[in-house]
Amino acid sequence: MKKKSFSIMLAVLLTLSVMLTACSGGNDKAAPATGGDAAKGAESDAPMEIKIMLPLNTSETPPDTIKKELEKLTNTKLTYQFFPADTYEEKLNSSFATSSLPQVTYLKNQTTFIQMKDAIKDGQFWEIGPYLNEFPNLSKLKPEILNNTKVDGKLYSLYIGRPLARQGIIYRKDWADKLNLSAPANVDELFEMAKAFTEQDPDGNNVKDTTGVVDRNELTYGAFKTISSWFGTPNGWGEKDGQLQPEFTFQEYIDTMDFFKKLRDNGYMNQDFAATSKTDAVKMFTSGKAGLYIGGSMQDIDSLNKDLIKNVPDAVLDTHSMVAGPDGKFAQWMIPGYNNVVLFPKGAVKDEAELKKILAFFDKMMTPEVSNLMFWGIEGVHYTVEDGKAKPTDDKELIEREVKGYKDSVIGEAETNGMYEPYNVLPGRIRAEELLLENVKVGVPDPTAPLDSATFTEKGVELQQIITDATYKYMYGQIDKAGFEKEVENWKKRGGDKIIEEYNAAYKK
Amino acid sequence: MQEVTIPPSPVQPALDASKSKQEVKRRIWRNRWLYVMIAPGLLYFIIFKYLPMYGLIISFQDYKPYHGILGSDWVGMKHFTRLFTEPDFLNILMNTLILFGLNIFIYFPIPIILALMLNELRGNFFKRIFQSLLYIPHFMSWVIVVSISFVMVTMDGGIINDLLVFFGFEKINFLLNPSWFRPMYIIQVIWREAGWGTIIYLASIAAIDPGLYEAARMDGAGRLRQIWHITIPAIRGVIITLFILKIGSVLDLGFEHVYLLLNSMNREVAEIIDTYVYTAGLRQGQFSYSTAIGFFKSIIGLIMVMAVNKIAKKLGEEGVY
Repeated sequence: MKKKSFSIMLAVLLTLSVMLTACSGGNDKAAPATGGDAAKGAESDAPMEIKIMLPLNTSETPPDTIKKELEKLTNTKLTYQFFPADTYEEKLNSSFATSSLPQVTYLKNQTTFIQMKDAIKDGQFWEIGPYLNEFPNLSKLKPEILNNTKVDGKLYSLYIGRPLARQGIIYRKDWADKLNLSAPANVDELFEMAKAFTEQDPDGNNVKDTTGVVDRNELTYGAFKTISSWFGTPNGWGEKDGQLQPEFTFQEYIDTMDFFKKLRDNGYMNQDFAATSKTDAVKMFTSGKAGLYIGGSMQDIDSLNKDLIKNVPDAVLDTHSMVAGPDGKFAQWMIPGYNNVVLFPKGAVKDEAELKKILAFFDKMMTPEVSNLMFWGIEGVHYTVEDGKAKPTDDKELIEREVKGYKDSVIGEAETNGMYEPYNVLPGRIRAEELLLENVKVGVPDPTAPLDSATFTEKGVELQQIITDATYKYMYGQIDKAGFEKEVENWKKRGGDKIIEEYNAAYKK
Repeated sequence: MQEVTIPPSPVQPALDASKSKQEVKRRIWRNRWLYVMIAPGLLYFIIFKYLPMYGLIISFQDYKPYHGILGSDWVGMKHFTRLFTEPDFLNILMNTLILFGLNIFIYFPIPIILALMLNELRGNFFKRIFQSLLYIPHFMSWVIVVSISFVMVTMDGGIINDLLVFFGFEKINFLLNPSWFRPMYIIQVIWREAGWGTIIYLASIAAIDPGLYEAARMDGAGRLRQIWHITIPAIRGVIITLFILKIGSVLDLGFEHVYLLLNSMNREVAEIIDTYVYTAGLRQGQFSYSTAIGFFKSIIGLIMVMAVNKIAKKLGEEGVY
């Protein structure tokens, strides 16, 4: 396969976008005029016109069903510009280069947000922090999560919320019951469970063909980080001697690697986990060959269960997350609490008055009525209410087509915008929802989430690769502790020292 | 087309100049349809091949999308310096060259051999079936090819390891052992591409005058003699052309395939320039740096093509231009 290098493709894109600048220049000049019309119109209570750009996670642009209701509820005239999520970053960048971003711009995820920080510091977007108090619903947004989205201590964005700590264990309850095991209370019991699932023939076919843990080539969203946090490793960065230090300089990180090494050496986990993709890992679990699926989101139990019972009809799954470390303490690492953010480009929002009107729209979006409409769809068509919870219709395609596009743009989370919680049937899933709340009680935040480090932005990912490789090599027994520490030194030498310095400087502020 | 050339006259240079200008105009007018016909092709190259080169500018800048190409700061050779001083650079370059070497020395001859073998098959029916069977792998994406081999060689129930155990050998960790990366890579390339690569050779073999074979048979030449003295010399030009073209993509090994095979355990042999661009450049939005690397790759490719072309011509072959 002859693939043109990325850079050439990029160059094509860039050039085309530059060529288009000339054309879109005219539109830019026209934009304030329409904005002005809208502002004038608003005085006479005509609907406010808002243009919104957001990533689309389905294959088709949704029809206007939800949009029409939304416009009625919020007295707006909305123009949604959906772009496929796969190429959304390119779209963001080229719209940016041609300053044709609309008034409301959704980013794609945390990574695009970090990339955008430069532009934010450069004053390309409105700071919204000072206005939030004027809006009763927006001011309900969680301050600790808003804090994680601040740039240089100022707030520029609203966030799309996600549960802070969804990770835990999804395991074969039928196997555990058969072997008289209860959910593991600490890491030792977890190890014992993996051992029993491997050695004691839990599927009862008299062949030793089962594995304990199934993991994949991913340190963060696979099993490693979750178990690491149970061992007491800080989340990304931790304080040591009054200074922030990266997690891999802590003894607990080494202990976790030893735990995995032991699991692998004894054959209690899949031997190729460093080369196993998520799809392959899930396949191993749903084919009934493995008993413990760790990390990821416990909410995945629904889809895992669906595929598993196709292969093993009498399998029972359950979730669990409270696993104590060697010192008997509980801990869970937490994400920064947002999945995506929305920004307001200065190029499109011309003045404070317009910004406030747009914020007023988002304020309305955070009422239960509007957020339910956007997240669940129209009651009676897309969902029904049972026990005060939303139960989506069985016609998954209808939801996918008409609702999904808007679902991913709802600001805040159920606790702040008052929308319905999901109505779950599977006992393991109901338990998972309870565990999410428990997780947060012992949650460990990443102290660097609101901090900035120029070196990290530039080569953090590249440097992390050194540590990731070294971690796998240690777990596979190719390097020992001294070898691992050498790699950490290498990380420091190639820019890590500067990252430590920059984070600590920002931390002290 | 015949060209009319007027010998320049030393006596009346001024008159001559206007005359030859007219002559040029006349010639253009006479061949006007040829120019019209070439226009779409020319436009295609200008719009899609030459204008995009403008984007290469960003490799000399700290490109920021919101400032645009003209608004970003100039930084000179900074990104190139960074690439060449990267501690892993030599290793990555070596890995790229080694994979390229495998492509040239192991993969490249295989379609030729296959084509010669196919050509010896008698009976159109079998020939067609074999050809179709050989083409099919080409239409599978790398994701599929790599997944299939993953399922076959994994240590957790992969068929190859199960066979090894059955015959009393130790299990082999194909996926994570660095020394297995290159064999796996080239085997997958051959499996997917070799059949497809025979097309052009078979076409040029088909163009050989059957009379030559007849004559050779009269002189008592066997099958092998015929291949050696007729078929191979006849397709030599095609082989050399394809070889030169292949050299042009010297550092372009296909990102997708290698990236799918790459993991933490085999990175020291598997990281190539393409995958490095992805991890270091694009995943972090470093457009300038990635463009600089792409630029470097293209220049190497250009130099290689020109060098090989020259060598081919020196050896009395035609070359590509």
